Amino acid sequence: MKPQALPEPAGWRPPRNWGRIGWPALWALYRRELLRYLRIAPESLGGALISSLLFLAVFTLAWPDRLQLQPGVSALVFLAPGIAGYALFHNAFENAAFGLLYDKLEGMLGDILMAPLTPAEILCAYVAAAATGGLITGSAVLLVLALFMPLPLPALLPVLAFAVLGTLFFALLGFLTGMWAEKWDRYAVVDTFLVMPLGMLSGSFFTPAILPETARWIMQVNPVFYLIDGFRSGFTGVSEVSPLFGFALGLVLTIGLGALVWRLLRRGWRVQS
Amino acid sequence: MRLLQVTHGASGLVPLEMRRYVQAMIDSNPSAPPAATPPAPRQLGQINWLGLWTLYLKEVRRFLNVITQTVMAPVVTALLFLAIFTLALGRGSMVVHGLPYALFLAPGLITMTMLQNSFANTSSSVLISKVQGNIVDVLMPPLSTFEFTLAYAAAGVTRGLLVGLATGLAMLPFVPLGLNAPHAVLWYALNASLMLALLGLIGGIWAEKFDHIAAVTNFVVVPLSFLSGTFYSVERLPEEWSFVAHFNPFFYLIDGLRFGLVGVHDGNLIFGAILVGVVNLLLWALAYRLVASGYKLKP
Repeated sequence: MKPQALPEPAGWRPPRNWGRIGWPALWALYRRELLRYLRIAPESLGGALISSLLFLAVFTLAWPDRLQLQPGVSALVFLAPGIAGYALFHNAFENAAFGLLYDKLEGMLGDILMAPLTPAEILCAYVAAAATGGLITGSAVLLVLALFMPLPLPALLPVLAFAVLGTLFFALLGFLTGMWAEKWDRYAVVDTFLVMPLGMLSGSFFTPAILPETARWIMQVNPVFYLIDGFRSGFTGVSEVSPLFGFALGLVLTIGLGALVWRLLRRGWRVQS
Repeated sequence: MRLLQVTHGASGLVPLEMRRYVQAMIDSNPSAPPAATPPAPRQLGQINWLGLWTLYLKEVRRFLNVITQTVMAPVVTALLFLAIFTLALGRGSMVVHGLPYALFLAPGLITMTMLQNSFANTSSSVLISKVQGNIVDVLMPPLSTFEFTLAYAAAGVTRGLLVGLATGLAMLPFVPLGLNAPHAVLWYALNASLMLALLGLIGGIWAEKFDHIAAVTNFVVVPLSFLSGTFYSVERLPEEWSFVAHFNPFFYLIDGLRFGLVGVHDGNLIFGAILVGVVNLLLWALAYRLVASGYKLKP
C-alpha cells in the first residue's frame, strides 16, 4: 500500500536554497571575525606599531653608519619592508588562531558548525578576515614607518601580491593551529617555536649573504624567506631570488595548506567531538 | 564505596553513612555539654610565615603551570633577538666597548627578558584574579598587607630570576658570558626583577581590564626595556637624549648587569646601584599603600 502524502501544514515553506555558496552566511561570519579584529585593534595594532618602531629605532642606533646589506640599497630601506612584512604575516597568524581557538575554548564554535555553512565557507570566512586584519596591520606599520624615514615604492604589484599571498598562508597556518590546539599553551608553543623563528630568521632583518656558505640552506628551505624577499623587492627593486619563482612557490604551498586544512575541517578534526 | 550504599528508609534513599550520623545525633543528649571545646583562634605571631609561604608558592606554581609560555617562550625570543641582531650586524664584525657585538648584546637581552617577565607575572596574576573575582580568596585569609605585597613581589622576582638564568644558560653555547662581578650581577638582577614585579603589582591593582595592562606593557614597559641600552651603547644617542638616558632606572639596571656579566658599562655604577635601590624602596612604599588602602582591590 502506498503511504498517503500528508498535506503540507499551513505556513510551511520549503528550506531556503542558498545556491552554491551561502553568501549571506559567509559575509556574516567574515564580518564578525573582522569586528573581533577591530575590537582588539588597540592592543594588537598598537602593539605591532610600537614594536615595529622600536625595531627601527634600535637597528638605526645599533647599526654602524652607512651599512649596506644589499647592493645599492640603504640599510633602512632594506629593513623597513622586513619589519612590516613580519608584522603583516605574524598578525594574520594571530588573528586566525586567536579567533578559532577562542571560539573553540569558549564553546561557541558549535554555533558556527551548526549554522548552514559548508566547511569551505567557514574556512574562507575565518581566513579572509584574518588576512584582512593582517593587511590592515601591515599597512598601518608601513605608513608609520614611512613617517620616520624615506620609503620608496617603485613597484606596487609585488608588494600587493606577496602581502596577500603571505597573509593567506599565515592565516591558514593560524587556522590549523587553532584547530590543533586544545589550550592557549599549545598556541603559544606553535607561535614561539615555529612561527616566530620562521618569521624572524626568514631574512626579514638580514640577507642570506651574511650567513656562512654552509648555513644558507636554513634560509632557502624556509618558505617565509621567499615571501619576505618578494615583498621587499617591490620597495628596493632588488631581490635575492626571482620574485616569480617565489610567488609560484608560495602559491603552491598556500593552496596545498588550504586543501589540507579544508579536508581536516570537513572531517571535523579536533573541532567536532 | 560505602558512601554509595543506600538504605530504603521511610524518607526514601538515604546514604548509609548519613543515616548513621543522623541517628547518632538523635541518640545523643542535646542538653549535655559538647565533648570537645572549639579550637581557639591560631596565634600566627608577628609574621604569618605559613600564609606568606603558601601565597608565594601559589604564585610560583601559577607560572610554572604554563612554563612554556612563561619561561621557555621568553628564552626563545631572546635567542631569536640575539640571532637577528648579531646576523644583521654582519657576523660579529662590529665592536662595542672593545667587545664583539654579541657579547655586548647578550647581557642586555637577559635583563630585558627579566624586566618584561617580572612585570608580566605580578600584573597578570592580580588582574586575572580581579577580573575572575577570586581576588577575595587572597584578601580574606589572615595575611597582612606586608605579607600580601611580599608574596606577590617575591613570586615576580622568582620568575624574573628564573627566566634570566634560563636565558643566560641558553645563550652560553653561542656567547662566552663570564661572571665578571658576581655581587653586581646579584644586586642588579634582584633589583631589576623587584622593580618590575612591584610595577606589575601596582599596574595590576590599577588596571580594570586587560586592555589597560596591555597598554602599559606595549607603551611603557617594552619601549623602556628596548630603548634603555639593551641593543646599543648610550654613547650612540644624540647629546640631548643621552642626558635623558642617565635618569632612566632601566638604563642603570641593564648597564649594571652588563658590567657584572661582561665587565663594560656606560654609566656610574655606584650611583646606579643606589638609584635602583631607592626607586625600589619608593615603589615598595607605593605598592604597600595601595594594598593597605584596598584601592581597586576591595569594593
